[in-house]
Amino acid sequence: MPLIRGKNSGASSESSGSPQAALDSPDADSRWMAARAFAGQADAVPALAAALAREPIPRVREAIMTALIRIGNPASIDVLLPYLRSQDAGVRAAAIEALQALPEAIAPFMPPLLSDGDSDVRLLATELARNMEASQATRLLCELIEHEPHPNVCAAAIDVLTEVGTLEALPTLERCAARFAATPFLPFAISVAMSRISGEKS
Amino acid sequence: MDDSKGGSSRAVHISSEQVQRFCEFLYRRTGMSFAESKRYFIDRRLEDRIAATGSSSFQEYFSLLRTDADQEIEHLINSFTVNETYFYREEHQLRCMTASLLDDIVSRREPGATLRIWSIPCSTGEEPYSIALWLMENWPQVDNYNIEIVGSDIDTRALRAAAEGIYGDRALMRLSRDIIGRYFTSVTGGNHQIDEGLRNSIEFTQANLIDTKDMMQYRDFDLIFCRNVLIYFDDASRRLAAENLYDCLRPGGYICLGHSESMSRISPLFRVSRFPDAIVYQRPEADHG
Ligand SMILES: C[S@@+](CC[C@H](N)C(=O)[O-])C[C@H]1O[C@@H](n2cnc3c(N)ncnc32)[C@H](O)[C@@H]1O
Repeated sequence: MPLIRGKNSGASSESSGSPQAALDSPDADSRWMAARAFAGQADAVPALAAALAREPIPRVREAIMTALIRIGNPASIDVLLPYLRSQDAGVRAAAIEALQALPEAIAPFMPPLLSDGDSDVRLLATELARNMEASQATRLLCELIEHEPHPNVCAAAIDVLTEVGTLEALPTLERCAARFAATPFLPFAISVAMSRISGEKS
Repeated sequence: MDDSKGGSSRAVHISSEQVQRFCEFLYRRTGMSFAESKRYFIDRRLEDRIAATGSSSFQEYFSLLRTDADQEIEHLINSFTVNETYFYREEHQLRCMTASLLDDIVSRREPGATLRIWSIPCSTGEEPYSIALWLMENWPQVDNYNIEIVGSDIDTRALRAAAEGIYGDRALMRLSRDIIGRYFTSVTGGNHQIDEGLRNSIEFTQANLIDTKDMMQYRDFDLIFCRNVLIYFDDASRRLAAENLYDCLRPGGYICLGHSESMSRISPLFRVSRFPDAIVYQRPEADHG
């Protein structure tokens, strides 16, 4: 008989020492394990925040972010938000992905992000609307587009609307096309978005 | 069905906010997320549990649940999981296992070594038994290695059924008469029980994919089947499940997902491996961050 039954599936040795201490370990695997042991523990936010700030290894950074996502309260969002401003594209992308996983908790943070003084932050923030409930995403992005001076930020918002927008977005899109008539790519992107949105709904 | 009045199980009113609070609770515990559109599914099960526990209101039931009195959480989870499955589901992956994956794995292992395969979630056992049957029928090297198969699920009721190994015709629809004849015996009610040797060769355990503590007890699997559960999860839970599974695999080990699931959209931890029969995901041999 080739099939055998294991005595017990676990071969694990419960790692000793506190996860708090292990978050400082020089060994990346220990930090990875420690971050994972904190998943969902709201009182671990400060420790995770400190660990995230100094973590060089992407895999471990992501595990820390996952722990924060599982906590998912305003405090954990506060920790993640500043990484949208990172100079490192990998870090920015990881932060976006983490925040996208919290579509409900992120909602109250959206208006300030979408009116941030930095156009890069506004642009990235449009991505956060992608997983939000459609009518809410539409409302937030339309508010942005109505006032947004930067064509690239509008384009990013339109891209998201193309995927999740509702019919309520159509008047805003029309006005945007008129406003940016001299920026050739925008009216085109808008016409695609409008036909997608109205096509899907009728 | 009579659901009018007088101690009926449909008497309790549950408000939208209560359903929402309940869904949040269920989500935190299991990773399963149900949208408002599933309201019917949720209400039905919730009302049944309220009645079964003799609670007089949602409030009362919810506090029972939160203190885990009478292991109500287990009953609740059991009533919310969707266990339906059948033998040789997504057969192309089983073919991939014997045509490609295991040969690659044993190329790094001496004959006589132990290979560990995990079916999580295993539901009522069809998947781990299918793996066992398929190996015996289709892998020429099967006698050269010790093969350990573990089946795990969050649902204890499903696990009990798995250990018992009794199936109706629907579950067996993909199996040939020959295989049924050789590995099953007829039992009452027109059902079939899988043979004792097979039943004894598989270990069934309870595990929650998104519970890191649960998952830490499992290590060193060469191959994991994690099919048709991630679709019930939202992004955050899928991500956590991916990290948990990563830890359970040996470096170089493989994970097979259901056909509508893709790890690439979930986590960068794994490498995509394309084989003639299936796309699977591999934990890299060495991690450089
Ligand atoms: C449709 S079955 C899939 C069974 C089998 N893998 C297949 O593909 O046929 C889904 C199973 O996932 C289990 N499940 C749901 N949430 C889970 C969790 N958090 N951890 C482990 N199992 C879970 C359910 O109990 C159910 O048995």
